[in-house]
Amino acid sequence: MLVYTVRRVLGAIPVLLLASVLTFVLIDVSGDPLSDLRMQQPPPDPSVIELQEERLYLDRSMPERYWLWMTGIGGNGDIGLLQGEFGPSTQSATYDIGENIADRLGVTLRLVTAAMVFALGLAVLSGVISAMRQYSKLDYTLTFVGFLALAMPTFWFAGIMQQAGVGFNELVGAQIFATIGDGTYQAQGLDAWGRFTNALAYMTLPTIVLMLTSFAAWSRYQRTSMLEVLNSDYVRLARAKGLPNRVVIRRHALRTALIPLTTVVAVGMAGIIDGTVLTERVFQWRGLGEFFIAAVEANDSFALMAWLMLSGTAVIVANLIADLLYGVLDPRIRFE
Amino acid sequence: MSTTDHTSDEKDERAVTVAHDDVVLEVRDLSVTFPSEDGPLHAVRDVSYVVRRGEALGIVGESGSGKSVTSMAIMGLLPPNAKVSGSASVLGEEIVGLTDAQISKVRGNRIAMIFQDPLTSLNPVYTVGYQIAEAVLAHRKVTKQAAMDRALELLEIVGIPSPQQRLKQYPHELSGGMRQRVVIAIAMANEPDVIIADEPTTALDVTVQAQVLEALDRARQETGAALVLITHDLGVVAGQVERVGVMYGGRMVEMGPVEEVFYRPRMPYALGLLGSLPRMDEDRSDRLTPIMGTPPALLAMPKGCAFSPRCPMAKEICHQEEPLLLATDEHGGRVPVPVGDTTAHTAACHFSDELGESAPDDLFRTSGPQETEGDEPPAAAPKERGGGEAIVSVTNLVKNFPIHSKGLLRRRIGEVQAVSGISLDLRERETLALVGESGCGKSTTARLILQLIKQSSGEVHYMGKPLHTLSARQMRPLRRDLQLVFQDPFASLDPRMTVADIIAEPMRIHGQRGTDARKRVKDLLSLVGLNAEHSSRYPHEFSGGQRQRIGVARALALNPKVLILDEPVSALDVSIQAGVINLLEDLQEELGLSYLFVSHDLSVVRHIADRVAVMYLGKIVETGTTEQMFRSPAHPYTQALISAIPFPDPVKERTRERIIVTGDVPSPSDPPSGCRFRTRCPKFAGQLSEAERVRCVEEPPELMDRGTGHPDACHYSQVVELI
Repeated sequence: MLVYTVRRVLGAIPVLLLASVLTFVLIDVSGDPLSDLRMQQPPPDPSVIELQEERLYLDRSMPERYWLWMTGIGGNGDIGLLQGEFGPSTQSATYDIGENIADRLGVTLRLVTAAMVFALGLAVLSGVISAMRQYSKLDYTLTFVGFLALAMPTFWFAGIMQQAGVGFNELVGAQIFATIGDGTYQAQGLDAWGRFTNALAYMTLPTIVLMLTSFAAWSRYQRTSMLEVLNSDYVRLARAKGLPNRVVIRRHALRTALIPLTTVVAVGMAGIIDGTVLTERVFQWRGLGEFFIAAVEANDSFALMAWLMLSGTAVIVANLIADLLYGVLDPRIRFE
Repeated sequence: MSTTDHTSDEKDERAVTVAHDDVVLEVRDLSVTFPSEDGPLHAVRDVSYVVRRGEALGIVGESGSGKSVTSMAIMGLLPPNAKVSGSASVLGEEIVGLTDAQISKVRGNRIAMIFQDPLTSLNPVYTVGYQIAEAVLAHRKVTKQAAMDRALELLEIVGIPSPQQRLKQYPHELSGGMRQRVVIAIAMANEPDVIIADEPTTALDVTVQAQVLEALDRARQETGAALVLITHDLGVVAGQVERVGVMYGGRMVEMGPVEEVFYRPRMPYALGLLGSLPRMDEDRSDRLTPIMGTPPALLAMPKGCAFSPRCPMAKEICHQEEPLLLATDEHGGRVPVPVGDTTAHTAACHFSDELGESAPDDLFRTSGPQETEGDEPPAAAPKERGGGEAIVSVTNLVKNFPIHSKGLLRRRIGEVQAVSGISLDLRERETLALVGESGCGKSTTARLILQLIKQSSGEVHYMGKPLHTLSARQMRPLRRDLQLVFQDPFASLDPRMTVADIIAEPMRIHGQRGTDARKRVKDLLSLVGLNAEHSSRYPHEFSGGQRQRIGVARALALNPKVLILDEPVSALDVSIQAGVINLLEDLQEELGLSYLFVSHDLSVVRHIADRVAVMYLGKIVETGTTEQMFRSPAHPYTQALISAIPFPDPVKERTRERIIVTGDVPSPSDPPSGCRFRTRCPKFAGQLSEAERVRCVEEPPELMDRGTGHPDACHYSQVVELI
């Protein structure tokens, strides 16, 4: 198991490296961070542009810039991923990308975690029910709900949910759901209970929006996986042993049907991160999604790279965890 | 109508008396229907039988005969959409239609079941010990430790070596034979009254089959359980059971004591089954007698007797009225027999009395469309064989597959010698059989000859041309001459291509198109005995046997000289298999083909092959003519293989001399030193002195002729006559 773990961890390193190259090259070739400055009317003094180019390291060649971005060696101390610096920003000379990310990470993580936990829990539940009552009305209903959720674009559904929240508040005449902002500011100075209800008010709608697509995909997957196991010989043998149905389902069917889901969930991480960009935008959260949009608007190369690296790392780490979990859950992998 | 009333009354009376008697399982008028989009599918119809305490009942039938569904219905393991009617009772207690909580108390306690595929029967994520203990805990209020102790005891009974260690292992660490023994251990955990074994050895190699049957026997002795053995293998039935029932088209069509059914079948189907079986224990006859046609589709059951469309004896009434399962009295009248009467021989045939002592040949051969002429040319003169030139010759062929370390770097730490230095000649117009258990390298050898994979060293010559030196491009024109037929007729045909496209594909690849190709497809279809009109159909519209014929037609499309047949009939039902074997023989005769016949089934090999090479762990251990190999096998492994094939003859099967091997085939990555077979060799274990053994351990035996007329690779080879 130790060898397996070490091998998986070591295997993640080249993937991360490759991700960094791709991130850098794709962003670097996709636009000039100073295009706005150059287009300015009246044209700014060439020395101003030169100064900016120097600050943003645009006076160096692309391989040099990559090396600099990774290591920070030969830079001005504001760049180098390995030193924990993300590079200068176009947004302003004082804008610190790392600090901004750290500020917003908590907000986004809260949303992502809640969405993943609920999506996973509900997906397993509805998948298992669907599989056990295959072709029943309940199964058809859950299937319909699943496909509906899959088919709904996040930005549109977010808008609908927001409007529904507003409508609901008006209907009951009280502020039950908060539809704007992430609630960090409002939580200041509240006691534990107050903070909990505050979080509930602010998080419910965005969480529902963000989890929906993943829930739908995962519940379909869980249904298939469960059906396959329910028809397997070992479940039949478990019944033939005289185990009652609920024990068979829990111990033999569910336990094994969960194994393949770990991989799917890890891969689904990427989808959730995508979803946060749209969800945060609609609900106006100051999270990483909003950070990403601001970076795009400002042509902020290093900020974009930082965001991409972060989400890339999150996906790779999620896959690593899934691999390791697989090893724990499935003895066939463990002994490989 | 009054007579039927009378019989059912009589039956009831009898049932009451036997219930107090020693009947452990009684099945009465059990029917199973599955709803389908094309209407109800009657999988099982009115099956009745009883099993007495400690008795072994065999149920034989081909796929789709309903034999497995019957037992699943008894166990209550069918999917919820299945409609089960009738009754099944264990020790007088009804078990059909019980709730989950009620049936859970019976399953595994009173009545236990063993399934076909040991590789999928155990849950991969729990240890073997846990899974056995689970069965104990399901019915007994004991501590977990006590359950584990019982699991250990059970593993010892079923003959698993070092059971203490095995308890903590996961299923994938055990071989197929071991896993099936674990399943047997689970079945006997609570000393059930009945064990239902559904094809318990079908997925296993023959030598392992013998071991598992022995374990099953021990389980029965230990628990006193009765056995219902469901199988398609008449040989296994002949050796294991006292009574046998034959199922066809969802019904029981014949039932009686095993000798009665085997020696004096009263239903043409049973007779036909026996006739279509290649026999190892009898002189090789020149043709098998297949049953024409295919088993009935359950959705479109023929009116009257389900077997009537295939039956050479069928008369008007057979197509009208379904015969009941009745006994024949001494005057030839058909009379009912009470269900509990276990000595009666019953059959569902209107003319069972007319069957008398007829042999399968008499009945089924005359009906065959092929042999309408009076004399059969192949039967008269045995083929002049063996004198031909070698068309394919293989010298010192070696194939290694690398093994990588389990450490961090996955270094290459060694290799598996799948094929280690074999030499053989395939002569013109002959059939050379390559036999051995799974993992012995026989399929790898076949692929090496075809150059589908590259050898590590050694030579393959085809008509003097060195294939091993050719590039893929140079090899291509030669592929016309060397073709392959695969084992699985379901997987080897592209489901999205029509039969015409499938057969024409090799021609297309070799630049032959247009009307010529289309005409050739039609010719080929009729050559393999299929209707040429069906060329626009898709593979799923054909039965297994027909599909295998399509596979043969495809292989023949380019007029090859050599056909490599990789287990061509092992996926087929017995009655179908015979037809394909006959076809292969006819084609060889007609087209002058040479066959390399890869198989694990020695009965088929004995029937079809001219010469045989036996492989064990990548080496040929014995080779010779078919006659020599079966009459006077010299290598202990050959002897063990022959011993392990059950004869479909109850008396012979129970009285024959056997050479039994123990254990599983060792891993080819680490073959035993010296003679590779020594770890399982009965001679090494029992007959050799300490001094003699040293030679087996140290010196790998060469394949050489030791005066028996055929070469073997054993230092102490000795002919034993087993048949």
